[in-house]
Amino acid sequence: MQTSKRPVIARRSVLLLLVLAALLVPVPAFHAPQTHRISIDASQFEYSPGRLTVNRGDTLQVTLTASDVVHGFFLDGYEIDARVEPGISQQFTVSADRSGKFNYRCSVSCGPLHPFMIGELVVGPNEPLWRASAIAVIAAAAMLIGAGTRRSA
Amino acid sequence: MAGERHRRHCGGGDVDRRRDPAVGVKTLVRKPPADERRLDVLGRMPRLRRVVMSRSFQPVSMLLLLAPFALAIVAGLLGTSAGNRNFGIVFVWIVWWAVLMVLMVPGFGRIWCTICPIPAPGEWIQRRGIIGGGGKLRTLGLRWPRRLRNMWIQNVGFLILALFSMIILTRPTVSAGVILGLAGVAVSMSLLFENRVFCKYVCPIGGFIGLYSMAAPIELRVRDTQVCVDHRSKDCITGNERGYGCPWMVYPGKLDRNLDCGFCTECLKTCTMDNVVINLRRPGADLAKPGGGKQIDEAYKALIMLACSIIYPAVLFGPWATVRGWASVESLWGWAIYATAFLSATLLFVPGVFWLTVFAAQRRSATGVTIRQAYREYAHSLIPLGLAAWMAFSVGFALTNGSYALAAVSDPLGWGWNLFGTSETGWTPYLSGTAPAIQAAILVGGLLFSIRTTLRVGFRHDPSGTTATRAAVPVVAFLLASTLALLWLYLG
Amino acid sequence: MTNGRGNRTAIVTLIAILVGIPLTIVGYQYGLRPVFADHRIIDITARVPENGGFQPDLVRMEVGETVTLRFAADDVVHGIAIGPGLGVDIGQVDPGHVGEITLTVDSPGIYTYYCNTWCSPSHWRMRGVLEVVDPDAASPLSSPPDPIIEALVAAGIDIDADPQTVDGIVPDRARGQASVGSVEVPAELLEPDWRLQHTPEGGLGLLRAANRDTPDDLLIDVVAYLWSNTVPTEQAVELFAKNCAACHGERGGGDGPVAESTIDPPVAFAEAAWLRRGDIWYAKIRRGGMGTDMPNFGTLFTVEETRSLVDYLWFLSFAGP
Repeated sequence: MQTSKRPVIARRSVLLLLVLAALLVPVPAFHAPQTHRISIDASQFEYSPGRLTVNRGDTLQVTLTASDVVHGFFLDGYEIDARVEPGISQQFTVSADRSGKFNYRCSVSCGPLHPFMIGELVVGPNEPLWRASAIAVIAAAAMLIGAGTRRSA
Repeated sequence: MAGERHRRHCGGGDVDRRRDPAVGVKTLVRKPPADERRLDVLGRMPRLRRVVMSRSFQPVSMLLLLAPFALAIVAGLLGTSAGNRNFGIVFVWIVWWAVLMVLMVPGFGRIWCTICPIPAPGEWIQRRGIIGGGGKLRTLGLRWPRRLRNMWIQNVGFLILALFSMIILTRPTVSAGVILGLAGVAVSMSLLFENRVFCKYVCPIGGFIGLYSMAAPIELRVRDTQVCVDHRSKDCITGNERGYGCPWMVYPGKLDRNLDCGFCTECLKTCTMDNVVINLRRPGADLAKPGGGKQIDEAYKALIMLACSIIYPAVLFGPWATVRGWASVESLWGWAIYATAFLSATLLFVPGVFWLTVFAAQRRSATGVTIRQAYREYAHSLIPLGLAAWMAFSVGFALTNGSYALAAVSDPLGWGWNLFGTSETGWTPYLSGTAPAIQAAILVGGLLFSIRTTLRVGFRHDPSGTTATRAAVPVVAFLLASTLALLWLYLG
Repeated sequence: MTNGRGNRTAIVTLIAILVGIPLTIVGYQYGLRPVFADHRIIDITARVPENGGFQPDLVRMEVGETVTLRFAADDVVHGIAIGPGLGVDIGQVDPGHVGEITLTVDSPGIYTYYCNTWCSPSHWRMRGVLEVVDPDAASPLSSPPDPIIEALVAAGIDIDADPQTVDGIVPDRARGQASVGSVEVPAELLEPDWRLQHTPEGGLGLLRAANRDTPDDLLIDVVAYLWSNTVPTEQAVELFAKNCAACHGERGGGDGPVAESTIDPPVAFAEAAWLRRGDIWYAKIRRGGMGTDMPNFGTLFTVEETRSLVDYLWFLSFAGP
């Protein structure tokens, strides 16, 4: 009946610390910055390549082509927008300075499946993914442990 | 009654509520437990009460919404086939869907069913009136078969729509056809059967709205069940001059889950004892309730919806264009592969894995609960996470494509009109950098809500609590795995 | 429970919604709008040729009549232009948008509205006929004969023969430009019309005869310079980008994004240049390549536009190493 408040407070502090750690601990980049020359071809309704993986600090020199109809290229988070028509390529540069996954999506209506013409740029280390996953695991564990200890106290 | 129900939850009289995981971390010794606290919304808001009690509240809402839906159908049939410039697609699949899944269901439960215009024409024909009908119902008055008084038709209907969703979402004519088809079925069913049989047993959208409305912080209930027991005339069932007898065929006196209630507010009007209230409550208070039938349909609804909430972002937003091609019926064989995989995942694989999970949970606990019952009840713990996953999906889709709405209102058919001067508004994804963080927060929130539900089921099965947490471990692992998969899809 | 007045109002509202909305939309678009316009409005749906191309694909108007053409793109992005000689290029029209032009044509003739943004494997078939008739003129419309093509036909030159290619000649036109003053250039070589009717190889023969001691590779450079020394007009560059680049490539290398889907590989201009006459390029552009996917542009471009394109082809051919 008389659960002392202390363990509860201690438990909560540990939980808070863990969550803060998951949110804030910096993830070092292990790679020297590189420059990637990347050709991306847009066609109905996919990008080739559909997934790019680079490291934070890298530079992407993108040559964008379209091989069937006019397409666009909008990179989430970086707010880069380009329009490309078959026969005339577009060049632009992306400085990958934010980590995480950023979808690139067609910004020029290109047919029925246009809203789902999506590719992925993953800028590693993928901090948002690891942090969110760590918090999910910590929270799940904390709820289980919390329920268990409160019952068996 | 409230206290009695609480005791049933906790399995005994003198329980220290600090230990009840359902109550959460807050210690509440004097106040009633959070799950039992209610706030009478209409009591606090007399103006809103006047609106809701008005005879014209529901029909006028339906009529108002019928206008954009009629425009959506006309635009779908006559307008441009470029979906993102057609009001029919933009209004239904971007605006309506986002408002439904992000605001209405999580915030207000069945509120959409209150104002949905799809069954309205049928109901008005059947009732011989729009604001309030009278006299004999215009219907054959057939009885809905007993074996169909469950969610199976809704499950199947949803799966059929889901199998063709790539087509429905992107082709204005098909989308208009689906809405017309639903309205057509609704009207025909009103002519065959009394009341809202379509909404309750057939509507594929109503099915999951009902399921997820159990997680909402709003409910329609009676204030005191004893009043209902003592009330002889039971106007809420028979109807009176102020309203219809419950069109959803529910006896409010026994109503204890949002799933069963269509939120049509008729009983608020008919109740002569002023005993029906709309409560603000702790979200998810209906989850993990022991009541209801023994059917597995509801569990399957939860499993299908969770499975779809994982499949959808993978197919629609993932980098796998080939699968997307299959899903959009580019070739019959591709679609056959997709359909087989989709149905296997939703009907066999996910339910199968969940069965193993519940089996493991049961092995780790010592309760007299059958595995069938445990399966059905633990399936409720999938509801918050499934709802969160659908919210994350819809938030992403709405933020990305919401800007199309500005152009679509000015040029609903893509005919070069410019009614409000916004038809040349370009496509702008909103919050494209922060959307994943929002989605992650929603998903983690859903996971916690789901784990709480799991623990509640566990502690109800085993009030002593000795094995409840042990039993919860496999279910929590299942939930965590689903969450990590979703996080990976959105963030990885 | 009856609610007479409320029900009547509601039923009126219901009918207003169910009948009024479609009636207003259709009535405005097809009734009021044309009636209240002070000139003819012609709505044309633009779809890829596989799904019907332009509908309608024939528009008749009178000389001096003002007409608004509204092109509604329905599936993918189309570029809308009208030629030859009208100077009308509406630009790209995105799906669900409408590109419109109000025009008055003063000279009778057969014009073509066409798509100039690659939109499908049959993109080049996406054309419609704009007939501008003079009600007072007695004779029916007919296209004037093309003297350059007539001359080729009269000379018995096979326009559709495969272009022969020469490997290994990569002239340096910059060096040619620097050296052109130091060699003796026969007068014919300075004549655009003479160059149009002769291959660079033929030009090289004359140049060799006039400069017997000059090393051959320098003469090659000079010929390349002479054949490509017309500064490409902005118009030619744009015409090429919109109408040619999808197959022939941005730089004319025969490597456009849709090159793989054509019956014959698109010509890489530099490879075929040495043995090719300008008037054959010209004829190919205007008439199209028989049996290949090369469409005819004679109904789209003026003679001057075509000549400027030929100049640009030479420019691309001899762009240098």
